Amino acid sequence: MVANNSPFNTFDIRISMKRKDFLTSVIPLATISAAFPKAPELSQSLAPNKMPPYLKKGDVIGITCPSGYISMEECLPAINKMEEWGFTVITDNTVGARDFTFAGTDDERASGFQKMIDDPAINAIMLGRGGYGAIRIIDKINFRNFAKHPKWIIGFSDATVFHCHIQQKFGIPTIHSKMCNSFPLDFANADQTQIDSIGSIRQCLTGENMKYERPVNFENRFGEATGILVGGNLSVIELLDGSVSDLKTDGKILFIEDVGEYPYKIDGMLWNLKRSKKLDHLKGLIVGQFRMKPDDPGEEFGKSLWEMVMEKIAPHYPVCFDFPVGHVKENYALKCGMKHKLVVSDKGTILECVG
Amino acid sequence: MVTIPPYLNPGDTIGIVCPAGFMPFEKALACTETLKAWGFRVVPGKTLGNQYHYFSGTDEQRCDDLQQMLDDENIDAILCGRGGYGTGRIIDKLDFSKFVKRPKWVIGFSDITVLHCHLFSNYKIASMHGPMAAAFNDGGFQNEYIQSLHEALLGKKADYKTVGNVLDQPGKAKGILVGGNLSLLVNLIGTPSDIQTKNKILFVEEVGEYIYAVDRMMYQLKRSGKLENLKGLIIGGFSDMKDTTLPFGQTVQEAIKDLVKDYKYPVCFDFPISHEKQNFAVKVGIKYKLNVAKNLVELKEL
Repeated sequence: MVANNSPFNTFDIRISMKRKDFLTSVIPLATISAAFPKAPELSQSLAPNKMPPYLKKGDVIGITCPSGYISMEECLPAINKMEEWGFTVITDNTVGARDFTFAGTDDERASGFQKMIDDPAINAIMLGRGGYGAIRIIDKINFRNFAKHPKWIIGFSDATVFHCHIQQKFGIPTIHSKMCNSFPLDFANADQTQIDSIGSIRQCLTGENMKYERPVNFENRFGEATGILVGGNLSVIELLDGSVSDLKTDGKILFIEDVGEYPYKIDGMLWNLKRSKKLDHLKGLIVGQFRMKPDDPGEEFGKSLWEMVMEKIAPHYPVCFDFPVGHVKENYALKCGMKHKLVVSDKGTILECVG
Repeated sequence: MVTIPPYLNPGDTIGIVCPAGFMPFEKALACTETLKAWGFRVVPGKTLGNQYHYFSGTDEQRCDDLQQMLDDENIDAILCGRGGYGTGRIIDKLDFSKFVKRPKWVIGFSDITVLHCHLFSNYKIASMHGPMAAAFNDGGFQNEYIQSLHEALLGKKADYKTVGNVLDQPGKAKGILVGGNLSLLVNLIGTPSDIQTKNKILFVEEVGEYIYAVDRMMYQLKRSGKLENLKGLIIGGFSDMKDTTLPFGQTVQEAIKDLVKDYKYPVCFDFPISHEKQNFAVKVGIKYKLNVAKNLVELKEL
């Protein structure tokens, strides 16, 4: 019998009341809010000029919306929290701008993003929300200045377009995490996993050692791997197939997540990964959260996510299921494009950034 | 060189298989009766009427059934009972070595796009994109679209004429026709079944998707280079489109128009290739002439 698949139950069994320890840090959690530790030394896996500088107190985070519409009001909790962390936060015209489902026209969104990456006074870019739209502007963006002066780009879901494009074209790390729309209005009453997830953005941005632990899950395939972490939203990874942004996964640790799709659609996307050889030469696979749309009555697909994944993967690498990344409250910030060590064993799962 | 499977003669045998979703036997009765009335023999495969969850059988059952039909000397054409989802799960398990030596028409659309693309990109064998069993029901067997399938099977060259659409981009083109269901075409990108579209006339159709998802898929076609070197583009039916809470702000046709308006080749919209009744049989891998003029679109088989 496999272990309970619920993230909360498995968690409670092992470290009840200590959820926040999931995300361990070199600094005790109680003290980190005021601390800006020196960036760790880089390993040889990434050239120093590829590395966006970690943020210091007073540095500027710009908010822009390359995809869906979000109001200024909805961005306020994120603005307040990031200012509380000691950063200066600025927003551009795309925040609150609306062209139907988008945060402004393609030209407005492209121009907003372009200015943010080109502006030397902006040290990191937090995206307002996902939705849809990044693919419509990615080819309008000129990354020349960004490639010379990289900065952290923060987001997920539709922002997977940026993660993959930047990884493939420039090899510059990015932060896969919650965006402005996921900051709770009321932190005092927010779910602890949500608070910790948002706190992990600050930890990533300031260069703390990132280490993620998960209790044992007997659906996992045990093993150890070290490699560059890449990934994001599965639909978007498929969307980039055949393009200049197409994610190459050989020798990498791949993580995937998705939301709101029928199981058969997820199966089709996983076949696309397999048949485009993205699963053959991985170092490791991290399966995040997949809140799937229930099958229509009479159309039951009949296969679990575990079955869909296991039938398609090569036999040689570790696989971790139920990792807290995805469209859920518990969605920890991950540094795409940096070297990570993944240990999946009968003691649990540890993912650690070692780049 | 493209291999054109032999056209059928009365007395020839059509096998019916379901490589994807479940198809109740009784829903294929009008189809089998019509095929018999056309003078063909009909052999139902084991997957017709069979059910395993959503599917018409396990992967093994669906694969074995289609394999047998591909290999059987006595089967002259293969009509897929329905699409749904599942052909992509078995495509790499199929052995086409006998089929390549004795090609036969494979007929279907939607999920069967996987077979059309796979056969053309790997073996340059033509196949038939057209109505499946359910389209024969409710008197459908009498309509011009089912009749177009009959004529296509007999080898009569098609000459389809439809009224134009205000979004059409006029022009004339000649080229090999490729295409199918948009979701499947993008799902196959990067895989061994991916089709090359350079110098081709491409057709696409879709059902039940969000407008933004269609936009996204068209962007994928564009960004993967599949739109820039076409001879012509046929936008078929996009039925049952859905919108998000924050509306997309355009119809799918307007969104597609925005993406292709700078291309010089002819583009037509609402061509009768679709998940609805309006679904002419066309042959993937065969050369056609496309004329898009004001108020008239003609697709003629060469």
